[in-house]
Amino acid sequence: MTQGTPTPTPQPVDPDAGPIGVSRVIDHPPIPAKLAGPPVVEFRNVTKTYNAGRPNAHTAIRDVSFVVQDIKDVGEFVCVLGPSGCGKSTVLRLIAGLEPQHPATTGEVQVLGRPVTGAGADRGMVFQDYTSFDHRTVLDNVTFGLECRGVSRKDRHDLGRQWIQRVGLNVDVDQYKYPHELSGGMRQRVAIARTLILRPRIILMDEPFGALDPHTRMNMQDLLVTLWREVEATVFFVTHSIEEAVYLGDRVYIMSNSPGTLLREMEVEPANRPSRQMQREPRFQETVAYIRDLISELEESRAAE
Amino acid sequence: MFSGFFRLRREVAWWQGLLFALGCLLTVLGVWWLATHGEPEQRLLSPTVLPSPHETFATFPELWFDRALTRNTLASLRRVALGFGLATAVGVPLGILCGCFPFLRAFFAPVSIFGRNIPVAALIPLTFSLFGIGELQKIMFIFIACVAFILSDSARAIAEVHDRYIDTAYTLGAARRQVILKVLVPLAFPSIFNSLRLLFGLAFGYIMLAELVKFGGESGGLGDIIITSQRRGPKEHILLVLIIIPIVALAIDRGLFWIQRELFPHRYGGSGILNRAVHVLLVGWERFKFLLVKPTPVAAIRQPTPSQEKAS
Repeated sequence: MTQGTPTPTPQPVDPDAGPIGVSRVIDHPPIPAKLAGPPVVEFRNVTKTYNAGRPNAHTAIRDVSFVVQDIKDVGEFVCVLGPSGCGKSTVLRLIAGLEPQHPATTGEVQVLGRPVTGAGADRGMVFQDYTSFDHRTVLDNVTFGLECRGVSRKDRHDLGRQWIQRVGLNVDVDQYKYPHELSGGMRQRVAIARTLILRPRIILMDEPFGALDPHTRMNMQDLLVTLWREVEATVFFVTHSIEEAVYLGDRVYIMSNSPGTLLREMEVEPANRPSRQMQREPRFQETVAYIRDLISELEESRAAE
Repeated sequence: MFSGFFRLRREVAWWQGLLFALGCLLTVLGVWWLATHGEPEQRLLSPTVLPSPHETFATFPELWFDRALTRNTLASLRRVALGFGLATAVGVPLGILCGCFPFLRAFFAPVSIFGRNIPVAALIPLTFSLFGIGELQKIMFIFIACVAFILSDSARAIAEVHDRYIDTAYTLGAARRQVILKVLVPLAFPSIFNSLRLLFGLAFGYIMLAELVKFGGESGGLGDIIITSQRRGPKEHILLVLIIIPIVALAIDRGLFWIQRELFPHRYGGSGILNRAVHVLLVGWERFKFLLVKPTPVAAIRQPTPSQEKAS
């Protein structure tokens, strides 16, 4: 590596710059020296290189460090935003412990104070692609995780019906349907119910609403905010959509591309009002515009290389 | 009036399709009749080459009663069913394991490449020396002819299940064994069954081959009728058996297809009667599973009810 791509930094940030719209900018996610308890997720100088040492070596993320602290009984909603191919999904799959992203090439990924060794139900994941099991009914899809744990049929079906209801599906009509009979939005509702029924401490969402139309998308955002308050988990939400990130997130991580590094962290007002209403506010628009400019600068600096 | 039929990819109604198919049959019969009508000396084709339709169908009662058509058909089917059943019992589980673990697939690759590329007819002499000249030889011939195809098709079906289903199952807490049994196998099973159905048609063809090559006297089976008729007549029976074989094959194929549709309504759009039957069996198994495995109480999973939250 001769060129040694420097991290593009479009403009230095004055820490006292004050709020931008509904958000406040922090130059780089600070790593606190002392922590009260083990953080929910901790990345320390994590780099992931595929095919290391070969001509087709590709570094997906480089030197990513951040800490998400455990906020007792609340959890945080962290959105990861960045241009395509910047390694957003790599970060998520490293937390989940899914191959081939797991394990990291260098650095350490810790969840609740323990290094990640593989996938587990404590870190639930919702994917962009529809991953409902085609051979299972809605009810059996939702209760899959409970079935794997050996919960009896009656218990898991009772709980499954509660969750089908909770994600806004009609129990009587939908519980025995197969996934191919559902719309995209309904499939993602099933996927969310299937993950949340296990009460994971961490919920990983990889552009879950990416394939949905704007109307359905807003409904799903509102649903997600409601459910998240109930389950009290830390959410990592990867998205392309700046509006979605600013609306949903308590905290927005902005990543630069190829190789991905963590560039900015922003604190954002929580999503305490409906999506349609909040997204109309001028302050909201101001934050979105700020992030959009930042990302276009990143894209340009990359194109100039 | 027929110009509409020449629109590209125009669908036809089922009765129209039936009429066209009947038209084809009548054309074949007509050509057959034209080539063989009249006095034996004046025909286009002499009766020793091709008997007329009337002569052929007139010998049907003889085939049915004197030569025990049903018994011979069942004898052929029994051989295919046993050989193919054995090949399925060996090939599907091995194929599933090969699909799950590529190192096993690499191990079995030579077997599967050899088995799929060898012309099966060339195996017949070997099966005679290995398994004698009785039933066992015919059953094992079908087994050897099919098992490599079943193995590689099953392995491919498993390998074709998208990685995202495995990722999902793992993040929902499934163990590896559960990913195989609850995700990979059920998702691949429609494809496996479909390829089994197609291969069964192939196996039915192979049994004729195995029955045509024989030592000694009557071994029974449709192939045996053909070869005996060839040697001793009547020649009409060859034609009749040739008509009967596709009818039997079609009936079996449709039967299997019905099973396939009813087993996998989510994939092939049946009403799912068999799927529900399997479901009932699984529920029954689960009901009595507590005798072997202790179920996890649901309270082990924290739920968003205030009382439980405080307790945990």
